[in-house]
Amino acid sequence: MFELDIALRHMLTNRRGTAFTLLSVAIAVAIIIMSLGMTESVSSQIIENTVDKNPHILVGPKEGESYINMYRSLSSQLRSHPGVSALSPRLVGQGAARFQDNVQSVEFVGVNPGLEDQLMKVQQSAISGDFSQLRFNKRGAFLGSRLAQNLNIREGGDFHLYLKNDSLRLKVMGIMEKGTIKDQTLVYISLDAAQELLGEGDVVTEIGVRLSDYALAPAMAREWNEISQYEATSWQDFSPEIARFVGNQGVTNILFYMFILLISAFVIANTTIMVVSRRKREIGILMAMGARRRSILMIFLLENMLISLPAGALGTALGYAAARAIALLPMNVTSAAAGDGRIAIDPRPEYFALALLFALSLNFISGLYPAYSAASLDPVEAIGSE
Amino acid sequence: MNNRDDDIIVLEDLSKIYGDGVQVRALDGISLRIKAGEFVAIVGPSGSGKSTLLNMIGLLDTPSHGHIILKGIDVSRASPDERARLRNQELGFVFQYHHLIPEFTALENVMMPMLIANKSKAKAHLRAEELLAAVGLGDRLHSRPNQLSGGQNQRVAVARALANDPSIVIGDELTGNLDTKSSQLIYNLLRELNRKINQTFILVTHDMTLAEKTDRILRIVDGKIVCEMKRAGEDFVATDYCERAE
Repeated sequence: MFELDIALRHMLTNRRGTAFTLLSVAIAVAIIIMSLGMTESVSSQIIENTVDKNPHILVGPKEGESYINMYRSLSSQLRSHPGVSALSPRLVGQGAARFQDNVQSVEFVGVNPGLEDQLMKVQQSAISGDFSQLRFNKRGAFLGSRLAQNLNIREGGDFHLYLKNDSLRLKVMGIMEKGTIKDQTLVYISLDAAQELLGEGDVVTEIGVRLSDYALAPAMAREWNEISQYEATSWQDFSPEIARFVGNQGVTNILFYMFILLISAFVIANTTIMVVSRRKREIGILMAMGARRRSILMIFLLENMLISLPAGALGTALGYAAARAIALLPMNVTSAAAGDGRIAIDPRPEYFALALLFALSLNFISGLYPAYSAASLDPVEAIGSE
Repeated sequence: MNNRDDDIIVLEDLSKIYGDGVQVRALDGISLRIKAGEFVAIVGPSGSGKSTLLNMIGLLDTPSHGHIILKGIDVSRASPDERARLRNQELGFVFQYHHLIPEFTALENVMMPMLIANKSKAKAHLRAEELLAAVGLGDRLHSRPNQLSGGQNQRVAVARALANDPSIVIGDELTGNLDTKSSQLIYNLLRELNRKINQTFILVTHDMTLAEKTDRILRIVDGKIVCEMKRAGEDFVATDYCERAE
């Protein structure tokens, strides 16, 4: 295949031109890899800090009712649905916590610790204490880290939890940090203690449900609303801005990549047009020797495509290096949701394939017009050109 | 004009008109027969149409009117792919500047028309070695054009033109860029090939000394052949219409 021979020889002998094109593609790929790694990482941090740390679906009382009475049988029904990975009946209320002279408004959540841990992975967020011990200690509580700080209370300390005129004296059995705003208000207590404080009997206010795929939440919530009288809401309903962010990110990324593709394509096309113009006479001679137009087209396309392989590899390496360098900078990208305030880079293997595909398509698209114009040259004019 | 068996190329009433508005008639009704093994020179002043004629014969350009019959087949309206195939198989070109591909060695440049014809690399290599040896460059196979003199490059170009054993070799001012000694060497080479392998050569030249060494001289002025001279021993005999023109 003489087209490949010519393309390869040109690449190797025209080192400056090859290096220029290679670098253009590599930079474009690097920008994409870097932004892909970073945006995916920001996105997964947000999901991890919000969606993953909250129930995907909340099932509330029937319309006109304040509590779920038959929560055990409802839990069994919900658990039988495919896609449900965990659920936890909860009694949630707003109250106040007092320790010495410090008073803070709180959201108390009465739970079965075993079920709640499956739903919310509370123990993973624990700074101190054993969350499962709440089950055996009706007067125990797990506090959010910021709340403990504001109350100035430590593990082992006693505080009062008030609900209207009633109160409970509770002991801090552990402190947790979820990395969300809930750390300022959340108090976990046993379901028995919450029911005692509320005084409404064996009831809960909601059942939190975790799904194996959080994206299925809206459809499943809709289905449950249709088949039961209980009100199911998905995380997309109670965190619409996050749902919008996650949904829009794909579109934003595609637009961003299209712009990079366009700019890089123009740079490469310009370089290739210059190469074609410089090699006009040679094209004419090849035609005189009997090379067909499609062979000329192939020579230039091959030349561009061959560059894309090393360019893709170089761009990927550059992109990761740049992303890792940026990751070292302290930047609070997701506000309170960002754990340690740094961008973590997510080096997924599919990014390599994507980068290579991008480089190939970029070089193909940008080489198409110059290659076509080379193939369309009039041999007499091309041979006579200076 | 009927085709005779020994005619390798026949031009019938060939015209080439350039331009849509102001028209320039580069060739004006040229009719010509060239036999296999002929050594023909086309001479004429600049802008007379001799290069246009050569481009027509070489199937690099298409006529506005008339016919080009190559080995008995009318190729004047052949498709671009068919013309490319004929250029590869039936025609060899040598230009004023050697026009070798600078990134390739002499050997690789000579192999190129054979690789375009999909011949195997081994066969092409062998044939290119033979041709380069035949033009006296057997020891410069791996030299690149920038490592060879003008005359040597032109010899490589001649070897390249012969690569696919074409019916006709076309030369456009092929010694125009060489000194007298190199021109003489190239001429002797072509003459030898013409005699040895009965190769047809059609050369456009300004150089009357070179033209007078061929067998037939066609003088072209304003797109018309105004004079034709044929070798008769050491001298040339002009045709009747040539005398009329003068």
